[in-house]
Amino acid sequence: MPNIVVLVKQVPDTYSERKLASADHTLDRASADAVLDEINERAVEEALQIKEAQGGEVTVLTVGPERATDAIRKALSMGADKAVHVSDESLHGADIIQTAKVLAKAIGTVEGYDLIIAGNESTDGVGGAIPAMLAELLGLPQLTHARKVEIDGTSVKVERETDAGRTFLEAALPAVISVGEKINDPRYPSFKGIMAAKKKPVTTLTIADLGIDASEVGLANAASQVLESAPKPPRAAGQQITDEGDGGSKIAEYLVSQKLI
Amino acid sequence: MNFVESDERLALRKAVSDLGRRYGHDYYITKAREGAHTTELWQEAGKLGYLGVNVPEEYGGGGGGIGDLAAVCEELSAAGCPLLMMVVSPAICATIIARFGTDAQKREWLPRFADGSVVMAFGITEPDAGSNSHKIVTTGRRDGGDWVLSGQKVFISGVDGADAVLIVGRTEDARTGRLKPALYIVPTDAKGFTWQKIDMDMISPDRQYTLFLDDVRLPADALVGSEDAALAQLFAGLNPERIMAASFATGIGRLAMNKATEYAKTRTVWGTPIGAHQGLAHPLADAHINIELARLMTQKAAALYDAGNDMAAGEAANMAKYAAGEAAAKAADQALQTHGGNGMASEYGLGALVLAARVGRIAPVSREMILNFVAQHSLGLPKSY
Ligand SMILES: Cc1cc2nc3c(=O)[nH]c(=O)nc-3n(C[C@H](O)[C@H](O)[C@H](O)COP(=O)(O)OP(=O)(O)OC[C@H]3O[C@@H](n4cnc5c(N)ncnc54)[C@H](O)[C@@H]3O)c2cc1C
Ligand SMILES: Cc1cc2nc3c(=O)[nH]c(=O)nc-3n(C[C@H](O)[C@H](O)[C@H](O)COP(=O)(O)OP(=O)(O)OC[C@H]3O[C@@H](n4cnc5c(N)ncnc54)[C@H](O)[C@@H]3O)c2cc1C
Repeated sequence: MPNIVVLVKQVPDTYSERKLASADHTLDRASADAVLDEINERAVEEALQIKEAQGGEVTVLTVGPERATDAIRKALSMGADKAVHVSDESLHGADIIQTAKVLAKAIGTVEGYDLIIAGNESTDGVGGAIPAMLAELLGLPQLTHARKVEIDGTSVKVERETDAGRTFLEAALPAVISVGEKINDPRYPSFKGIMAAKKKPVTTLTIADLGIDASEVGLANAASQVLESAPKPPRAAGQQITDEGDGGSKIAEYLVSQKLI
Repeated sequence: MNFVESDERLALRKAVSDLGRRYGHDYYITKAREGAHTTELWQEAGKLGYLGVNVPEEYGGGGGGIGDLAAVCEELSAAGCPLLMMVVSPAICATIIARFGTDAQKREWLPRFADGSVVMAFGITEPDAGSNSHKIVTTGRRDGGDWVLSGQKVFISGVDGADAVLIVGRTEDARTGRLKPALYIVPTDAKGFTWQKIDMDMISPDRQYTLFLDDVRLPADALVGSEDAALAQLFAGLNPERIMAASFATGIGRLAMNKATEYAKTRTVWGTPIGAHQGLAHPLADAHINIELARLMTQKAAALYDAGNDMAAGEAANMAKYAAGEAAAKAADQALQTHGGNGMASEYGLGALVLAARVGRIAPVSREMILNFVAQHSLGLPKSY
């Protein structure tokens, strides 16, 4: 009966305009709707499918500001059992290394975990590094970019897919895995799931609770600094080709001009 | 007083909206034009418990209220999938059976309303008894332990995809005078029961039918609840019906507004998007305000109904239904206008929306009959009929 921790992150809705705050180049969280990252919905889905087949318990863990409770609630409404929320003002501007350290400590509060499931990369930070850093910090094997996961009592097998091709991995539990887009289609929360979510336990922790000092985290202590940022230039209008019998060759001409063929 | 919906209600809206948008208005219109049904959407929404949010928990439902069901209906509409049968099947039929059905009827039907695996149409309108339901002549006659039902109904939605129809008739010993209704559950495969499609200009996968009941023999337990309480039973279903019709309409209004604002932001003919011209911006703002007002009244009506205050809910539900029908019709008309020539092009689907929005002014009760109700009951004015 696997005990699974799913790492979930709240991100600005990909459909809304995303901006950095002009003062410190951190994410302007007020300007966009915040949602549970879709890749994390897939991570939750995978955990739920394992639980439905084998029993066990699913805990979701997030490090994020107060309103990240909405993302937690969504994961709970999908069917996760409980949640841990690390929320602390001093984390504002935390970088990937700090976030990984905080996540590692927070995972330590979940007793007897067998499997940690993350998304392969977030849609806002797009670091794609948390799962690997976390595995390093916890001294666990990492099986990333999973498109298929199988676990039995003591080991996990993963079909890993990247642009480079497919690899088949196996490791002993406990382990860290990260899932890719193709892993599954996340479920919609059912009405009963939504109603039950509010009653499920959420443990809120500060970094002090995790034995981390404020001087180790936050924008001022980040390993790298954003010096400057500019909004993405608006996408230029595309070139339209009307097919008057010569559409194919016009497209070929365009591709040649872009050195694509 | 609280003007903010609960976290759960908002989460429900979001989840339903996500589901609805995956299908979208093109899916809905395509199914309608093909003469098909929106079965995939209905079944998926059913499995997620969205169509049975108001069914009591002990029968496998969500244990929520009509406010939850109305939220589901509104969000699906706004996402481009106005499911007319939601107004009928879970709102009217399931409510009446849950509140007045016998234990056996509840056990038979409610679990299937809970997951949407049953669809029940509702037939009250007759050729000679439209707005005046006291003139209903469909009659149930006792024959031994059975009922034998005869009569005709018109404009009954969705019979072709339904498992049964809840028919409002009257019992034989009450054949004249004021309506003493009796409610019968008639399976669509009952012998002597036939129907014929009415050609409608509306583009909807939920089509309307004329029903013929020709000595349809039904078992004793086809009668819902008790013969004597039937008027109360009927009214129990009508408040949810009005609240749902209002939500159906405000959802269509929101859909129209989305299409209109999207177009008004991008279409440019004088060097600035047409939405900048006040001649278009103000009517759209006005339409938005009216939709929001109608939504507020709809939520009030649902809150009163769910709190058990049937009397106050009745007035609010009628007002909400009226306001929503007007708001939706005006929003759809203005959305069409905003699109210029494209407003009439099938590709944009606005012609279909205008007629869909207009349903809210006619069914389930016309705007004039609501104005009559308000004139008489709220204002105490004399009656002309
Ligand atoms: C209080 C607070 C304020 C923050 N402010 C900012 C800010 O202003 N600007 C900014 O850019 N970032 C901010 N962060 C977010 C933080 O910097 C990122 O979480 C971190 O950099 C991870 O990078 P990534 O998203 O690129 O990770 P990736 O490596 O791309 O993520 C891969 C996977 O790791 C998991 N994961 C990643 N982050 C988290 C998390 N936080 N909690 C749980 N699981 C996670 C998810 O499963 C995710 O799919 C803030 C965080 C906190 C707690
Ligand atoms: C799309 C659609 C779906 C429908 N689905 C169903 C269904 O599933 N089940 C069902 O039972 N019915 C259904 N109906 C029927 C609908 O409820 C009736 O059309 C409606 O109640 C009006 O009745 P009527 O058509 O007979 O109009 P009439 O009663 O003939 O009214 C005609 C006009 O006269 C006005 N009028 C009538 N009396 C008065 C008065 N006293 N004062 C002022 N004006 C008055 C009306 O407001 C209306 O404008 C549906 C109708 C439509 C259009």
